[in-house]
Amino acid sequence: MRLTAVELVESREILPGQWLQSFHAPELASGSRAGQFVHVRPGDISGMVLRRPFSLNTTDAATGIVTIHYRVIGRGTDFFTRLRPGDSIDMLGPLGRPFEVDPRSQHLLLIAGGLGIAGVRMLADEALRDGKRVTLLFGAASAREVYPSNLLPDEVEYIVATDDGSMGHHGYVTDLIAEYETWADQAFACGPLGMLKVLAGQAAGRRQRMGVAKLGRKRGGGKGDVSGSAAARRKAFLQVSMEQNMGCAVGACLGCVVAAASGPPLRVCREGPVFAAEELDWETPWR
Amino acid sequence: MTPAVDLSVDLGRGLVLPNPILVASGTFGYGIEYGDVVDVDRLGGICCKGTTLKARVGNPTPRVTETPGGMLNSIGLQNPGVDAVIAKYSHTWATWRVPMIVNVAGESVEDYVEVARRLDGIPGVAAIELNISCPNVGAGGLQFAIDAGAAGEVTAAVRRATDLPLLVKLSPNVADIRPIARAIEEAGADALTAINTLSGIAVAPDRKRPLLGNTYGGLSGPAVKPVALRIVFEATQAVKIPVVAIGGVTDLADVLDFLAVGAVAVQVGTAIFADPTLPVRLIDELEAECRRVGAASYRDFIGTTLPKRPGSPSVKGVEYRP
Repeated sequence: MRLTAVELVESREILPGQWLQSFHAPELASGSRAGQFVHVRPGDISGMVLRRPFSLNTTDAATGIVTIHYRVIGRGTDFFTRLRPGDSIDMLGPLGRPFEVDPRSQHLLLIAGGLGIAGVRMLADEALRDGKRVTLLFGAASAREVYPSNLLPDEVEYIVATDDGSMGHHGYVTDLIAEYETWADQAFACGPLGMLKVLAGQAAGRRQRMGVAKLGRKRGGGKGDVSGSAAARRKAFLQVSMEQNMGCAVGACLGCVVAAASGPPLRVCREGPVFAAEELDWETPWR
Repeated sequence: MTPAVDLSVDLGRGLVLPNPILVASGTFGYGIEYGDVVDVDRLGGICCKGTTLKARVGNPTPRVTETPGGMLNSIGLQNPGVDAVIAKYSHTWATWRVPMIVNVAGESVEDYVEVARRLDGIPGVAAIELNISCPNVGAGGLQFAIDAGAAGEVTAAVRRATDLPLLVKLSPNVADIRPIARAIEEAGADALTAINTLSGIAVAPDRKRPLLGNTYGGLSGPAVKPVALRIVFEATQAVKIPVVAIGGVTDLADVLDFLAVGAVAVQVGTAIFADPTLPVRLIDELEAECRRVGAASYRDFIGTTLPKRPGSPSVKGVEYRP
């Protein structure tokens, strides 16, 4: 975790109200992993006291470029869209814990709902680099909100679902899971809470449906890994990247928690933003 | 060589801070969270996250939201309980130069007393800051902080339970702070902290419910600074013990404003979220300001805005006799 001034290189609106911005940030570009995020300070304009958290959308160690992808939802995000190339901005990061891919997993299923693509996008690059096969299931309300395929590596199999049927599968992205859950060794998701909840339910029932052994369990058992540890997450079928209103983003203020399956609430910024689905309590009606 | 500037602060009972810039409870965790981004040993003091007798899971989410010039929070005192806090952090604190002031919260006088007792004598714990603004379940939901009698009672009970320096944090959600401040002083507090957050709410975007999971939150940030200034102004004239100011500090001018109304030190809170390096920078800026005006001590800045005083302010806060 470092506090760095980074320079805007490129900024464009890739979908209505959704922006993709590139920053020159060599330390972040080489020292971050998929699933981690940055906490970005809006400029010194009166009234905004909090930074804004963004998933690291892509990083390129060779060029030192990191990108963020966000929707304009308020004054902070609106401010960021007004930045011009050459403008400098203050990023704190990399923050949080990354996705954990089991080295034995060959087929990775990425599931994104709308802007959730920003949470899993970087994992596609990482997985391809490690020689894995990647399928991305993407859900959106309609064709005009579908993530442009030219922003994805060619090697990614890209499947789209839209609520109104204007592109791809007519329905929810979660409808498509059944087709892929036997193929996939692990799944990684980011998107609306409702989508993640359905996926968590599907993942919990998967073992029984498919009769597959839990990944990583050696014959004869042995001591299980501590819930929330990188080792335990590596063995989980489904990992999710969670979102929450955030204050400090370093674990100090306890603002950004989610309910845990057991024990005290977990900090999205510190224990997350990536969690194994079974670490979370999907029934607690916390928003 | 330029002469040294004296930035030290005596809060009483042996608690001497190296400088008057502290970090506020709830914004700096247990001191370790910001890692290398902040050199904690430069700070004047750290007030840790509110600590209770038993572990608390805290409030439903959302727990924080930005508001114009500030933010609302309703964490609900999520913490692992005093024993776990001691076990997990006190060894680290004991290796630090920076005084660690443990913020203590409770629902009954007995809770506060027991937490204070367990902190007493723990290496690494320099002082206690009582957060008396949480609901007093024992007395039917009343906050200790809004009633002079209750505030004095809990302060006196904790005073008897520990030899640690005792700061008591005032709530701004009262009609008149002066009788409460006096009651806390008479009950044996070594210093006051002012102010805690102001009670507020925000509305969810769909306007079908309050935004925060707990409905109510505490407002902090620059938006509360005028209220904090007013309460510090009133409190420093009402009591002789030192007052540590908190409320919307974002730059040196804010620090100087709070000193001017009689505070002997300031806590930086919400501004840390935007700029974790601010507190340390403020120490340097305050020292530079002393040099600029030729002051041997930052104490020259204390109390200049207060009504005429009989003498110059003492090291231990401002002596004012109406």
